Amino acid sequence: MIDPLLRNAIIFANMLTLMSIGLTLTYMTTKVPNFAHGTLVTVGIYVSMTAGQIFNLTPYLALPFSFVLGGFTAVVIYLLVLRPQMKRGASIVGLMVATLAIDVFFIGVLNIYADSVQRISKVVTRYFILRRFDFTFADQPGIFFVLPSLVVCSVVLLYILLTRTKFGIAMRAVVEDASLAGVLGINVNKVYLVSWFIAGGLASLAGALLPLWLQGSTDTGTRMIVSIFSASILGGLLNIYGAVLGGLLVGLVEVLGTNLLAQIFGVWIIPYRPALPLAIMVVTLLVAPMGLASIRRSELRAVKRRGRSWL
Amino acid sequence: MALALFAQFIVDLLAFFAVYMILSVSLNLEFGYTGVPNFGKVLLVAGGAYVVAAFSGRFSQLLLNVAVDKDFIKDNAAVMAAVNSAFSQDIVAALIVFFATIVLAAFVGGALGYLASYPAVRLREDYLGMTLLAIGEISRVIGQNYEPIAGGTLGVQVPDPFAWAGEVRFLAFTLILLAFAGLIYLYAERIARSPLGRLLRSIRDNELSAEALGKDATKVRIKILIVGSAIAGVAGALYSFYAGGVVATAFNRVDWTFWPWLILIIGGAANNVGVAFGSFIFITARRVIEFYKDSFTFLPFDAVWLEYLLLGSILILVLIYRPEGLIPEKATPTISNKRLKALIKKVKDEAAHKDNV
Repeated sequence: MIDPLLRNAIIFANMLTLMSIGLTLTYMTTKVPNFAHGTLVTVGIYVSMTAGQIFNLTPYLALPFSFVLGGFTAVVIYLLVLRPQMKRGASIVGLMVATLAIDVFFIGVLNIYADSVQRISKVVTRYFILRRFDFTFADQPGIFFVLPSLVVCSVVLLYILLTRTKFGIAMRAVVEDASLAGVLGINVNKVYLVSWFIAGGLASLAGALLPLWLQGSTDTGTRMIVSIFSASILGGLLNIYGAVLGGLLVGLVEVLGTNLLAQIFGVWIIPYRPALPLAIMVVTLLVAPMGLASIRRSELRAVKRRGRSWL
Repeated sequence: MALALFAQFIVDLLAFFAVYMILSVSLNLEFGYTGVPNFGKVLLVAGGAYVVAAFSGRFSQLLLNVAVDKDFIKDNAAVMAAVNSAFSQDIVAALIVFFATIVLAAFVGGALGYLASYPAVRLREDYLGMTLLAIGEISRVIGQNYEPIAGGTLGVQVPDPFAWAGEVRFLAFTLILLAFAGLIYLYAERIARSPLGRLLRSIRDNELSAEALGKDATKVRIKILIVGSAIAGVAGALYSFYAGGVVATAFNRVDWTFWPWLILIIGGAANNVGVAFGSFIFITARRVIEFYKDSFTFLPFDAVWLEYLLLGSILILVLIYRPEGLIPEKATPTISNKRLKALIKKVKDEAAHKDNV
């Protein structure tokens, strides 16, 4: 039997992992921390809301659609806003402000959608939960199996894409040095487009699964941005596997740590849960600002050096 | 009647204008002149507001010696009634509380700005932006849940230091707000035109060459963040006194981080005139929308979201097509225009004299 608390933590950590992979991917290629990443999660949440609350269908059926819609939204954001800005030589801060503006724009869109659906279809469109659509397998909720397998699948697929395909090698070249890659005939713009599509798709996928376990609303994605940043920074922001590790660690610590602190200090501490990922982020920035990946390498180097001095 | 309503509308508009102008001017010091991306403005505004909520009421209780047996948060309404009725007689005490709170809010704002930027101020600007944004999100969580600060989700009433002004309270307060805005504007303008302003711009434009000339860019960034945060704390405190209450839920990212950025970018970064102009257009537009909001009842959704669409897309368009803003940054001469003209004239005269000889 699995401890419900651990199950909670595993589900949350895997959701966070899907989100931080996307944020890291767009940061690696376009070098913009996308403040609107949480909104892409909310897009997925509302695809599931539409499926569950209006059409009475299980959100699992809507997963391909939410992946495509999220990816498409991210591509539109990139094509209509960030690319024109980059072409005109905008600064990093200019791009960050643009993603903030996109976030505000989509908060408007999603709320208009939620309001209108509520008015027209008379269903609950805020603070809803769709656990009733989940299946059970071996006495466990389906999402407990679906989410981790999705994470494993996306990591394996990304690994194959990045190391075994020509396009993946081109992607890595763009990450290393976009202008040099462009000189060598790599279509940099296509690499950017694909990375934004995957990032938006994964974020939306995580969002689509979220209401099967947690309450979803128009501000759920925006509220998760602290955890997403924390996980991505812990992972080093320049490494997809780092993002996976960061997502899993931050997710597990956030759920299990809050519970542990509540046992020690009392339940009043539970609402302060968002402070935990923030603390992880602050410690990471102070101790190893380049994230987990950098620790490993520098440690190894230190060990090597020591080894040499012994000789 | 209509005239009174219009006057009330204008007074309210000017008060909001003053608060947002103070905020945007402080952001202009940080981002416009120095290039520090402070995406956590809400933290400092909330900090100033929490000082008003947690300090001004309790301090008034002690200072006036009224309702000292009552708890400020639990018996908030009773305590505030006693304090405000005392303030309506005692101008001096009211002003002491007002200015003491403002000064404390500035200190708390500055300290919060220092602490929040500490983890990332040495890193690249995107890390600093992410850190400040994340900490800004947490400020609301703390205010909502820790009741002794601002009464949790219910909020608290705060003392009205202009209770003595009676019917013209809002007018008097708005004038004070405008005076604060004017002073802070002059201060920022003075910094911008001083050697310090040139140092800030040199760090923004080329950090490496500034450091090669012996300037410590990190230290300057920390200092300007402290100054900007202290000003933002003052803005938060002034707003809370004006509104008469503090509710932690009001301190969200859109209202207190995003709108100042919008004002700054649209008005024109690194130009205080542009920022003042931007605040005025933005606040006027928002108040007018707010005023006519009720006539949009035919929509199947709350008209407030249209504002998000409209302002979000305007900012995106400005960022793409006119990133320097409506009134772009101008070169600030190191000496005053008068002296510059005199100098040019002198050189010209000398040249003419030489030609004659």
